Amino acid sequence: MISVLTFIIMIIVGATVLGFIAVSAMFLIWWERKVSAHIQTRYGPMRVGWHGVLQSVADVVKLLLKEDIMPAGVDKWIWWFAPFFAVVPSVMVFVCVPFGNIFGITLIPADLNIGILYILAITSVCILGIFMAGWGSNNKYSLLGAMRSAAQMISYEIPLILSIITVVMFAGSLSMQKIVEAQSKLWFIFQPNLAIAFLIYLISALAETNRVPFDIPEAESELVAGFHTEYSGMKFAMFFLGEYTNLFIVSAIAATLFLGGWQGPFLPPVVWFLIKTYGIITLMMWFRWTFARVRVDQLMGFSWKVLTPISFANLAVAGWALLK
Amino acid sequence: MIRYFINIITGAWSLIIGLMVTFKNTLRRGVTIQYPTQKLPMTDRFRGLVDLRAEKCIKCYQCAKICPTGCLSITHKETPEKKKELVTFKYNMELCCFCGFCDQICPTQAIYMSKIYEIATYDHEKLRIDLLDSEKYSEWLNPNVK
Repeated sequence: MISVLTFIIMIIVGATVLGFIAVSAMFLIWWERKVSAHIQTRYGPMRVGWHGVLQSVADVVKLLLKEDIMPAGVDKWIWWFAPFFAVVPSVMVFVCVPFGNIFGITLIPADLNIGILYILAITSVCILGIFMAGWGSNNKYSLLGAMRSAAQMISYEIPLILSIITVVMFAGSLSMQKIVEAQSKLWFIFQPNLAIAFLIYLISALAETNRVPFDIPEAESELVAGFHTEYSGMKFAMFFLGEYTNLFIVSAIAATLFLGGWQGPFLPPVVWFLIKTYGIITLMMWFRWTFARVRVDQLMGFSWKVLTPISFANLAVAGWALLK
Repeated sequence: MIRYFINIITGAWSLIIGLMVTFKNTLRRGVTIQYPTQKLPMTDRFRGLVDLRAEKCIKCYQCAKICPTGCLSITHKETPEKKKELVTFKYNMELCCFCGFCDQICPTQAIYMSKIYEIATYDHEKLRIDLLDSEKYSEWLNPNVK
C-alpha cells in the first residue's frame, strides 16, 4: 500500500514540477520581451491580455499547431531525440531545488545529500542535446554552433564548479537544504570570498545557459540560429522550454547558494525564493540587452586566463581563511 | 601582472557604464504609438482625401481642369435668382494621385486636402465619392464602424 501512495505522491510532485516549469518558461518569455522592450524604449507585447501577459500562451498554441518539418538529409534518430535530451536534464534538476516550505510542507521533491553535485552532473548532460541537434541537422551552421557550445560549456564548467566548491567549503555540506540553513545568520554573498565566487558563478552561468554576451552557439548574425536552425514547431518549442528552464535553474541555484535561498523576513519562504530567483533572471536579461556578443577567442581567453585563475586563487584564500 | 588587473578593472567599469545607460533607458517612456487606439496628429501640409466646403465654392471649375488624372467631375445649375448651385461634385478616389493641385488652384479654398489617411476599403463603389454628401467620410473617420 505504501508503494501505491508513494507512486501517487511521485505523480503529483512530477505534475507540479512540470506545470511550474511550463508556466515559468511562458512567464519568462513574456518578461524577457517586456524587459527588452523597455530597455529599448518600446512597450513590447500589449495586445493579448493585460499588457500582453497572454502573448506567450498564444505563441505556444501557435508552435503546437505548426507543421513539424524534417529537412532532407538529417540524421533521423539523433535529430529526433535531441530536443528531449535538451529538456529532460533541466527537468531532472528540479529534484534538488529547494523552494522553501508552505504550510509546514517542505517544497523540495527530494533533499539529496549530494544535492549540488547531482545538479552539476545533470546539467552537464544538457550539452549532449545541443550537440546532437547540431550534428543531426546535417548543416554547417548548426554543427558550428554545437561545437562552439560544447567548447564553451566545458571551459565555463570549471570556474562554475570552483565557485560552487567555495560555497560548499563554507556550508560544509552538499545538500541544498543544509546550504540554505548555513546562511541563516548571514547570506554568503556578504562574505568577501563568496562575493567573488558569486560574480564568477554569475558570469559562468551566463555562459552555461548560452545567453548574451556568451551566445556564440546561436549567434544570429553569424550562424542563423545555431543548433536549432533546422527545428520548427513542437521541437523548437522544446529547445525554447529547455533554454528558459535552464535560465531558471541557474538563477535558482545562485539564489540558494549565495542569497540565502528561501530565507527572509515577513514574506513566506516560497515568495522569497521566487523573488530572489526572478531578480537574478531579470539581472541576466538586463545583461542580455546591454552587452555585445564576445568573439570565440575572447570567450575562451576570458574563461581560461581570467576566470579560472581567479577562482583558483579565491578557493585557496577561502581555504586559508577557513583553516586559520 | 599589473596590466592584467588594470584590464579587468577597466573592463568591469565599462560594463557598469553600459548597464547604467540601459537602466536610464528603462525609466524613459516608450515612444511606440499604439496605432489603432492611439494616433499621431497629421502635419499641417499632409495631403489626405480631398474634401469640399460647398458653401465657399464659386463653380469656376478650375480644380476639375487642373486635375492631372481627371478625378473630379462637377455639374451645376442656375437658380431663378441667377445664382449658381452645385448639382454634383463627384470625386473618384481610385484615380486621385493626391498631388494637391486642386487645393492650390482653388481661389476660395473651397476644395482642400483633408487629414484622412486610413482610406483602404473593400468596395470599389466606396471610392467614388460624392463630395456634397455630408456623411461621405464617416466610415473612415470612425474606425469602429464596420
